[in-house]
Amino acid sequence: MCLIEPGQSGECRVRINIDGVLRTVVYGFPCSLNIDPIEKKPLFHFLPGTGVLSIATVGCNLHCLNCQNWEISQANPEDSQAVFCPPERLVSLCRESRCLSLAYTYTDPIIYYEYTYDTAKLARQANIRNVLVTAGYINKEPWEKLLKYVDAANIDLKGITDDFYVRICSATLKPVQDALLVAKASGILVEVTNLIIPTLNDKPEQIRELSRWVKANLGGETPLHFSGFTPKYKMQHLPPTPLKTLEIAREIAISEGLDYVYIGNVRSKEGENTYCPGCKSLLIERKGYFILQNRLKDGHCPDCGREIYGVWK
Amino acid sequence: MTRRKFIHKLIKAGSHSYCVLGIAYCVYGIASLFSRNTHHARRTTKFVRALRLKKYPGSLRPLRDIHKQSKWSG
Ligand code: SF4
Repeated sequence: MCLIEPGQSGECRVRINIDGVLRTVVYGFPCSLNIDPIEKKPLFHFLPGTGVLSIATVGCNLHCLNCQNWEISQANPEDSQAVFCPPERLVSLCRESRCLSLAYTYTDPIIYYEYTYDTAKLARQANIRNVLVTAGYINKEPWEKLLKYVDAANIDLKGITDDFYVRICSATLKPVQDALLVAKASGILVEVTNLIIPTLNDKPEQIRELSRWVKANLGGETPLHFSGFTPKYKMQHLPPTPLKTLEIAREIAISEGLDYVYIGNVRSKEGENTYCPGCKSLLIERKGYFILQNRLKDGHCPDCGREIYGVWK
Repeated sequence: MTRRKFIHKLIKAGSHSYCVLGIAYCVYGIASLFSRNTHHARRTTKFVRALRLKKYPGSLRPLRDIHKQSKWSG
């Protein structure tokens, strides 16, 4: 929560109180604008193999000590350069570059909410899909309003205890869990990411509890990504997440009944592929952000005919 | 650019600002704090209309090659 003195900015750094009026500094001024593979978000069940025009502005409402993008998420707007790109321009750039979707990502779309909202609305009119990559730290009402224009979201569930959120992210757990429930109930495609940080949230019982929560509240079909941590920002004293830890996490989540569990940020033989939860046959084979083969037939397993959760066209 | 200079430019730019049609997000407010601590307080969420600036007070750069994959995570 922010009580912002005149001339000061809030936690997110991009909203400033000028004479009692809140100004958003970054509307129409992204600091990053690139085309990425959709697999990089990561979204594995949404238009695989397609490019997505991805934007971010500086700032974030969280301050994760491990932030991989801290150079922009923890930057002040006066310290970085931005590009002038209003919503109309973003939509036309997306069309020109033949991207099927627009991603609001890298930092957190919640802090450039108005920009995200207006762009998503315009993009929807132009038949462009909208994708959010977010920590999900938002109130219900604005979240529901925004979700009307969103097609898919990868939402972080950074840990399963309030203590982790307070100590590592300067946030709390409950609003994130609520945002996940609202997103899933809204009918958009939801994937969840949990970044595993050695010694902080890597214990098997923590992974099990998190997996159980996802299964019980979001459903076993919800894809869960366990991402490997790399030492960055204020957590350079910790080692990268060993592949073994990620593999154990994946096994635990599968044993708890989750159908699609992935490993990210490291190369993994099976952890990058999609398998049919019914007959276990390989459906989508990936290597990094590349699709090596996609055997899905109209969103169904070609071997047993089972419907696979996702947006495939 | 220093924050002081940035705010100064922002105040000038803000005088020409106009309202964004979208609805501003709202972080958990003081009211939610109270609701955690008292039985009777009602947790309220309220929308804040953010004002968009016509002129960016920071430094701008031209659009670079967007086809190059970003170095950022996510
Ligand atoms: S929410 Fe994401 S962008 Fe924001 S500080 Fe945390 S890791 Fe960085």
